[in-house]
Amino acid sequence: MDFIQKKLENGLTIVAEVNPRALSAAVGFFVKTGSRDESPAVSGVSHFLEHMMFKGTEKLTALQVNEAFDRLGAKFNAFTSEENTVYYAAVLPEYMEEVTDIWTQLMRPSLRDDDFDIEKNVIKEEIAMYKDIPMFDVMDRCRALHFKDHPCGNSVLGTEQSIDDLTSEQMREYFTRRYAPNNMVLACCGNIDFKKICDLIQTKCAGWQKDKAGRTCEFYNGSLEKKFSQKETLVRDHICLLSPAVSMQDKRRFAMSMLSMIIGDSTGSRYFWSLVDTAIAEIAGMQCESMDGVGVMYSYIRCSPDKRELVMQKLNDIFKEINEKGVTEEELQKAKNKVLSALTVKSEQPMGRLTSLGFNWVYLEQYQSVTDDINSIRSVTVKQVNELISEFKPGCFTQLSIGPGKTD
Amino acid sequence: MPEKLDKHTLNNGMVVLGEPMENVASASFNFLLQCGASTLPEGCCGASNLITDWLFRGAGKRDSRQLVDALDGLGLHRNSNTTSSHISLSASMEASNLSKAIDIYSDIIISPLLDARQFELSKQLSLSEVMGLDDDPRTKVLLKLAEQFYPDPFGRPAVGRIEDLNNLTPAGTAEILKERFNLSKAIFSVAGKYDFDSVCAQMEKLFDLPQPAFPVKIKTKTSGSKYLHDQYEGAQVHIGLMTKTVPMSSPDYYNAMAAVSVLSGGMSSRLFTEVREKRGLCYAVGANYRSLKDYAGISCYAGTTPDKAQETFDVVISEFDRLRKDITQDETQRAKVGLKSSLIMQSESSSSRAGTIASDYYLFGRVRPIEEVKEKLQQLTADSIKNFLNNNKFEDYTVVTIGPKKIKA
Repeated sequence: MDFIQKKLENGLTIVAEVNPRALSAAVGFFVKTGSRDESPAVSGVSHFLEHMMFKGTEKLTALQVNEAFDRLGAKFNAFTSEENTVYYAAVLPEYMEEVTDIWTQLMRPSLRDDDFDIEKNVIKEEIAMYKDIPMFDVMDRCRALHFKDHPCGNSVLGTEQSIDDLTSEQMREYFTRRYAPNNMVLACCGNIDFKKICDLIQTKCAGWQKDKAGRTCEFYNGSLEKKFSQKETLVRDHICLLSPAVSMQDKRRFAMSMLSMIIGDSTGSRYFWSLVDTAIAEIAGMQCESMDGVGVMYSYIRCSPDKRELVMQKLNDIFKEINEKGVTEEELQKAKNKVLSALTVKSEQPMGRLTSLGFNWVYLEQYQSVTDDINSIRSVTVKQVNELISEFKPGCFTQLSIGPGKTD
Repeated sequence: MPEKLDKHTLNNGMVVLGEPMENVASASFNFLLQCGASTLPEGCCGASNLITDWLFRGAGKRDSRQLVDALDGLGLHRNSNTTSSHISLSASMEASNLSKAIDIYSDIIISPLLDARQFELSKQLSLSEVMGLDDDPRTKVLLKLAEQFYPDPFGRPAVGRIEDLNNLTPAGTAEILKERFNLSKAIFSVAGKYDFDSVCAQMEKLFDLPQPAFPVKIKTKTSGSKYLHDQYEGAQVHIGLMTKTVPMSSPDYYNAMAAVSVLSGGMSSRLFTEVREKRGLCYAVGANYRSLKDYAGISCYAGTTPDKAQETFDVVISEFDRLRKDITQDETQRAKVGLKSSLIMQSESSSSRAGTIASDYYLFGRVRPIEEVKEKLQQLTADSIKNFLNNNKFEDYTVVTIGPKKIKA
């Protein structure tokens, strides 16, 4: 597998991992923008804009765009997070240039008013949909509670009100600033002809204008507040915990993700033995999310309302023990094995490599091959993990629980 | 693409299938055991799902903790799943761990500890899972839909029913397991990087247990009601609907797949265009082909706020009805390319192939080579899809809604 990289004069970077033996290919535009880059006046604009990018250009209608993708049999979509908006497609190798060509056109959209008005309804339906998914609801609200005034607490979807208030003018202004070529990376991998892709990008994107995108990045430890919110329609309690973690720029992120697996993987973890194996909770998991300059450990637990107190007690015991005694060599080894086999399986498909290739460039301007990742994971030591526990104290967390009512 | 299928039948009757893959470092396997939700005795709904948890609470010489430690120690990416017909136990791993993983799984299948105290915990978890569905209307609507659509017992919810789960005992459940984990009816598949001769030799040794066949008798009853509404004060009305079509064994299967693809394959498909793009009625709308061995349907899910529910439903139904009238060449071509891409991309993943070859063997009695599937897709035309739809009209719909407002269905 070969890594190749090229930067256009306007700052747009192309990164590629070429694997001639792959049966498919994948491509994605990674835009360094998300809800943390929004002011309160345009809350939800990044995500709404992601939808609008599919609505076509001066030359293409929305239906023509969708037909063009489908004609190539492309598996394509996009997602928006607090700090990234990613547009991707996986195709058979013979369609790679065509699908890349479509994306380059869509990255300069027309953002028509009538499309904007119809799509507002779809966004509001999406907001309503997530209200009916308590796991999402509690995590989103806990994130806001944890981050307070730090921009990482901004909601990706926005609220019904903020979407209603948003104008297409505001969206266009945001687009011009944030979708500047110097704030984007084009990643591609699998069975691809790099030269052809580069020629295409040069022709289609060299005219895009640079702009000042930027971002304020401050580490934040979190509010560590605790709240319960009643929602009478629910039958279970849904608990979310957030504690600080290392950022993407921090080399210790591999050790941090080992720690989150040891505490909260779906099998064989501390949460598993204490909460799930014992049927105190039906779901209990922890994940580490390293972001730009900041990071969080997320836990989500679902249980019967009458078990909430017991769950909290067990959680305290888990964190007390991990604080005092740290993790064991055996636990770390198991976590490594699990991550390594998941990595092996995921890396077999170009689409599985795309996000890791793109994000490594977005955050670090660095290429990490699968072998590099394997080595980084293998080299994590118990000492490193235990140092992270002392420094980040996973037992000190922000907590939001939602459930049908107080039981005590 | 070089394609090869390995096949061997063990002395006990278990079929072992393998598909070697180049360029991968992983191996994945899948055991299909004839203990699905529809095979259970009356009044035991949920036993299969409970069994998939109970099995992993100790086996062979390992207690619950040692077993999970051993599996995690190999870094297995594992999954246990209950369908209408089977319990499926699958795992993916770095290829060098395959033999050790098969060893442990043979313990889980042949000599699980089935401890009575552990049973109570599995039961608690199963009950919690069913109760949790009340907080997940989208999943619940699709389960209710299958329950109403298929003739009983084929639509039984795999997660179970509260009253049945409450009545299950360790002894009764162990009996269900022992009768149905019949090795002569089991299918084992492996895909990725492996050596077939050594896999077969190992399997022959581990599973050398001839068992008398246990005939699973299923009495088929009628399907449920045509419209069911669950009042729920959520933000959206969750709409599920399903209509009959041909099963996978039918020569028209590929036409049915293409029809669903025109309806809901990509973003230029009918439902996405008419419901979401033109009218902004939904965020989530989509249709799927769902097939058991003898029954199949096309199902559709749409979630929308109460005031738009009726219009959403009406537009969806009119799209189903319109389908047989005017499928274009261009739509057919897009459906074909989309299905072909999915097929090839799935063939890059060992876990996906291990799953497919096992289910093919159950459904077709053989594994369809990828080239054959491509060829069948290639033969599809707009006329063949339209003819199929006209000969198999969507006559009626089973509809389930969960939400704050009923619709006229």
